[in-house]
Amino acid sequence: MAEYIFRIFRYDPEKDEGTKGRVQEYKIEVEKGWTVLDALNYIKWHVDGSLSYRRACRHGICGSCGMTINGKNTIACEQQVADLGTQVITVEPLRGFRVIKDLIVDMEPFYDKLYAIKPYLITYTPPPTDKERLQSPEDRKLLDGKYECILCACCTSSCPTYWADKEFLGPNALMKAARFVLDSRDEGWEERVNAIDDKHGVWRCHTIFNCVEACPKELNATRAIVELRRLMLKGRL
Amino acid sequence: MKFPRTSGGFYAWLFQRLTGILLVILLIIHFAITHNFPKGGGVTYAAVAPRLATATWKVFDLTFLVCALFHGLNGVWMVVQDYVHSETAQTWIFYALCTLGLILLVLGAITVIPFKA
Ligand code: HEM
Ligand code: SF4
Repeated sequence: MAEYIFRIFRYDPEKDEGTKGRVQEYKIEVEKGWTVLDALNYIKWHVDGSLSYRRACRHGICGSCGMTINGKNTIACEQQVADLGTQVITVEPLRGFRVIKDLIVDMEPFYDKLYAIKPYLITYTPPPTDKERLQSPEDRKLLDGKYECILCACCTSSCPTYWADKEFLGPNALMKAARFVLDSRDEGWEERVNAIDDKHGVWRCHTIFNCVEACPKELNATRAIVELRRLMLKGRL
Repeated sequence: MKFPRTSGGFYAWLFQRLTGILLVILLIIHFAITHNFPKGGGVTYAAVAPRLATATWKVFDLTFLVCALFHGLNGVWMVVQDYVHSETAQTWIFYALCTLGLILLVLGAITVIPFKA
């Protein structure tokens, strides 16, 4: 057991409307092995039931608990409290999105970008067998490091270009686009290219690498963006 | 793969990189010859003027000018596209940058081209 101070961003739309929100401190005993999500659960269940945040699986697979912890985006369920190395821990909602309540942000703009690139397999030719569309292990390998995304929004929320231009597709949608464009079974290029090649698309990235640092699944959205650009470059020259 | 439309930034992106690479090369040559880098010194009228009057050097300086102008103004344009959200304002700024570029290009050209030692 060790004592930690959690400085948590609070915003209640009924009381704090028009303000920039406030910070509330909670001093709690943290047990060995607790993640930040465990600490938030403890606060909500035993100290202050009004604290709001998203969570579901607590196993790093649902992507619900993306937040900014000590200034760095990650999912709270994968962040060990002891690994943070500070006794005072700040917890804030993902930046770049509108705060709905406390640590809960409006994810709609994030999903809109995802829908824009049509994040599903698009095919026109019928499958070779009535069971499945086969893919060689080599072709399958091209998707490694792209398909594992859990949609936590840590990447897009860490992107300064997205902060400046809210219409920018952002690292997540662009990486998802690469995941389908590079899929040997996919035939949806024509339907995706307009969004990818848009003024707010792949050319807006300034290779800042914040998304790479932020991703709790250690995916490299910047590399995916570069792969998309390389494809477009080849297609034009 | 077919590209059915012109891009929303492909050429701006591509030429920012191409002019960036060219600028490195031109800068190295510029420093090595004009500024006698790394020894330095020797930037006197007598030493510089005869070279500036040659056709080769005029072409060099004009290329340098075009690259720097395009790169600098296109860079500002990229910043504007990130931070200015009104399309109307963006259009105005775009033409203002083009005009500025044209004026500076003419000023540079009338300095470089007619020069005699
Ligand atoms: C020495 C050689 C240079 C190289 C290799 C270079 C390279 C680059 C590159 C790759 C970018 C794009 C960055 C991005 O993705 O946003 C950029 C942006 C920019 N460059 Fe250069 N550049 C050079 C010199 C210059 C010079 C001399 C100027 C001023 C005339 C300049 C002004 C700018 C501006 C204003 C931007 C936009 C800012 C930004 O996007 O971050 N650069 N440069
Ligand atoms: S790419 Fe990584 S950071 Fe971005 S949404 Fe997916 S899992 Fe989260």
